[in-house]
Amino acid sequence: MTSNETRVITIERDVTATARMDAARFRETMTARGTLVVNLLSSPGSGKTTLLAETARFWGDQIRCGVLVGDIATDRDAQRLAPWLPAIQLTTGGACHLSLALVQQGWQQWEELPLDILFIENVGNLVCPSSHDLGEHVRVVLLATTEGDDKPAKYPKAFRTSDGLLITKTDLLPYLPFDVDVAAQDAREIRPDIEVIALSALQGQGLAQWCQFLQEQRRRHVGRRPANESADSTVNR
Amino acid sequence: MHEFALVRSLLSQVAQIVEADGGGSVQEIRVRCGPLAGVEPTLMREAFALLRRDSAFVEAELVIREEPLRARCRRCDQTFEPQRFRFRCPHCGSVDTITESGDAVMIESVVVGG
Repeated sequence: MTSNETRVITIERDVTATARMDAARFRETMTARGTLVVNLLSSPGSGKTTLLAETARFWGDQIRCGVLVGDIATDRDAQRLAPWLPAIQLTTGGACHLSLALVQQGWQQWEELPLDILFIENVGNLVCPSSHDLGEHVRVVLLATTEGDDKPAKYPKAFRTSDGLLITKTDLLPYLPFDVDVAAQDAREIRPDIEVIALSALQGQGLAQWCQFLQEQRRRHVGRRPANESADSTVNR
Repeated sequence: MHEFALVRSLLSQVAQIVEADGGGSVQEIRVRCGPLAGVEPTLMREAFALLRRDSAFVEAELVIREEPLRARCRRCDQTFEPQRFRFRCPHCGSVDTITESGDAVMIESVVVGG
């Protein structure tokens, strides 16, 4: 006769509430340091690493960028990026997404490094990473033209939670049945204020627009100009 | 496939809450989740079945209630259930809408025995 001792504890709490608070704290720390944090989400092979290398090349020493690059295994991406910007490889050992703890572990190695933008290159996966706040100010999802223009509706959470959509590999458009407007419209039905930029990192189209977007985001969230940016903020290659 | 991490976090949170409430053996953990919660209930149940073995919840059942996606229009203040994740307001056509529920895993309550 233990039934009369049974009790119900009402909780009504988001299971990620604590994680979100930790992420908000990290975000505040980074805001105070003047570093914009950008979380890049996409399928494997959509062009995140190439985009980062070309973004760093575009800016040269004008904007100081660093990247924490997540993969399940190997440090290939960090090696690929090393000639262009400081890069630390985070290996998840099988996990499908980066966690805030792993990001903070990587970031600890850099606490003294002054950075205008910290990129987090998430594990290639359009599903799990979209559920995890890594303390970023801006979330950007990449969709390569080779993946098909029907992906936003198939992976709604990734698009719903992103502030920007980069349609990558536009140099391949002549060979693919990919309609940039269809993909953009689909994404906007899910996230109406998503900023859509089509680009080819390899050939350079759209890169200036992307870099301008990042600078606007930096002003909005961090509220300062990068230390090395001239009074005239026009970016020249 | 991040359900494992999520259930692990769920169990540790429940353990803390129950302990703070005077302890006892957990019989049931009730959660609800919606289509944009980013979890598969089936995978959550599988993760729970494995993880409870090594926890204080060997006896516990996980009850998952699925809830629909709900959004509210900030222009006309009406609520609606977005179809196929389209967040445009069906009443006034505005795109200025916010998600109200269905995008999270909520821990509702815990049933504890003496």
